[in-house]
Amino acid sequence: MATQVQTANRHRRIIVWSLMLLIALMLFLPLIPYALAYVSPEAGGVPNPGTELWRAVRSGDKGTSQVQGVDTGVLINEYGEAWRHFRMEQLIPFGAMLMGSVLVLIVLFYLVSGPLRIPGGATGKKIQRFSVFERTTHWFTVSLFWLLALTGLILLYGRFVLIPVLGPEGFGLTASACKEAHNLFGPLFLVAILMMLLTFVKDNIYARGDITWLLKGGGMFGGGHVSAGRFNAGEKIWFWIAVLGGLVLSASGLVLDLAVFGQGREVMAISHVLHGIAALVVITVSFGHIYMGTAGVEGTISSMTNGYVDEAWAKSHHDRWYAEMQAAAGDDEAEQAGGGAAAGVASPVAND
Amino acid sequence: MFAQLVDGIFWDIALWVFGIGVLWGILSIFRVRNKPDYSEPRGSGTAGAVGANLRRFLPRTELVSRTRLHIVAGYLFHLGLFALLFFAAPHVLFFEAQTGLGWTPMPYWAFIITAQLSFLGLMLLWIHRVMHPVTRLLSDLDDHLAAILTFIVMLTGCMALIGEFEGLRVLHRFTVELLMVYFPFSRLMHAFMFIPSRAFTGAWFGRRGVKA
Repeated sequence: MATQVQTANRHRRIIVWSLMLLIALMLFLPLIPYALAYVSPEAGGVPNPGTELWRAVRSGDKGTSQVQGVDTGVLINEYGEAWRHFRMEQLIPFGAMLMGSVLVLIVLFYLVSGPLRIPGGATGKKIQRFSVFERTTHWFTVSLFWLLALTGLILLYGRFVLIPVLGPEGFGLTASACKEAHNLFGPLFLVAILMMLLTFVKDNIYARGDITWLLKGGGMFGGGHVSAGRFNAGEKIWFWIAVLGGLVLSASGLVLDLAVFGQGREVMAISHVLHGIAALVVITVSFGHIYMGTAGVEGTISSMTNGYVDEAWAKSHHDRWYAEMQAAAGDDEAEQAGGGAAAGVASPVAND
Repeated sequence: MFAQLVDGIFWDIALWVFGIGVLWGILSIFRVRNKPDYSEPRGSGTAGAVGANLRRFLPRTELVSRTRLHIVAGYLFHLGLFALLFFAAPHVLFFEAQTGLGWTPMPYWAFIITAQLSFLGLMLLWIHRVMHPVTRLLSDLDDHLAAILTFIVMLTGCMALIGEFEGLRVLHRFTVELLMVYFPFSRLMHAFMFIPSRAFTGAWFGRRGVKA
């Protein structure tokens, strides 16, 4: 009896152990090829069942989908990851560094050298530098530029700067408002840039003396003021950066704004990259323009507020243009003295 | 809390101030008594009133070259604002909810283009006003406040367009209420006054046989 019980127990143990071994083999045997492939990838030869699928997905090959539309057959747009990486790892940090460092340099420059004074002081005799239409065009562009720049910067940097202040909900509301305003005013910026181009292009073409002006850093090297026409080489460079940058911003913005012309995600990503780079470059260079037009050079801001500058300012910064204006005024006076002047033609020079 | 105030008591106050203010302004004009004119009429006053109203929509030939910007920007802004106010889909829904009267709103793309043209006109007009030495001298705080307030109302409206955030809708309605309260006490009243004003001038001259 005892022998029969012992035999039955042994059989039961054998069955249990056999089952456990069988389960263990079932679980682990399929893993052996993977283990071999891990230890020695070259010797592998055992393809992951999902490898081919995901390789096809990542290749960007188009499949078929019930949904009809641009890129709907593409499961994963690999370019999107490259775009995301560029935006988060390069555009945002390098853009902030670029703008921040230029602002710091401008402040340091101001603290070290101070504003550029009118040599000999203002004379009180005014000369018209910009017409009403030119100033209207300028401030129209400025208004749109800063409205778009601020809303764009909030969209780009808001999650880092505004979420800690406003919270996620507050930032969501702000970002939505900024996006709507940015998209609405964007096309108007193209109108403004074209107005700027047509209004100011004739005086922003390269002229003799511009290279000299640049080589002397506008008078910072070599001492004294450098001869210049209505606009010096620095102003011409800013004009072309603003116009060409503005055109790139407008074109890429329209691609992003009007997503109804069949442009795919790849085109949108490239447009966004161009838009971001152009925006950060133009914003950064505009800091220099604003500095030179306000605190940097005494007597400049009035040219864009009331349209007039002091005669001494014109003589020292734009001597060739000043000479042209004087000659034009002389011609007018001569014509008036000879009785040939048209009624209402005013001299561009006025006194305070 | 703020949203309840804006949708409730603030709206009621704004509506009453706007309604009574506008009516008071119009009635006070009509209550002004002119000296009786005993001269023999040389033309029709009514024809003069109608004619002046229509002719003033067209720029004077001799002034076109000097006022091109005002004409183009002025029409862009005023027609755009009119279209936005009465044909933007959210506004049509609002009017329908308030009065029971509804009409076909303009499509989304038309709203965007209209808003852009309207902003273009308003911005150019206001910047030109500030830049031109004569208009700058003639302008006072009321002119600037009216332009800026109108711009803010339009801007908040466009920001709230997507309709996902209640806060943006409340902000837009609040700015509208500020504008409505300011409206009767400002030159914005020209929205109601330009027709009677033109008519008065046209009739006065028309009776004397002069085309105003």
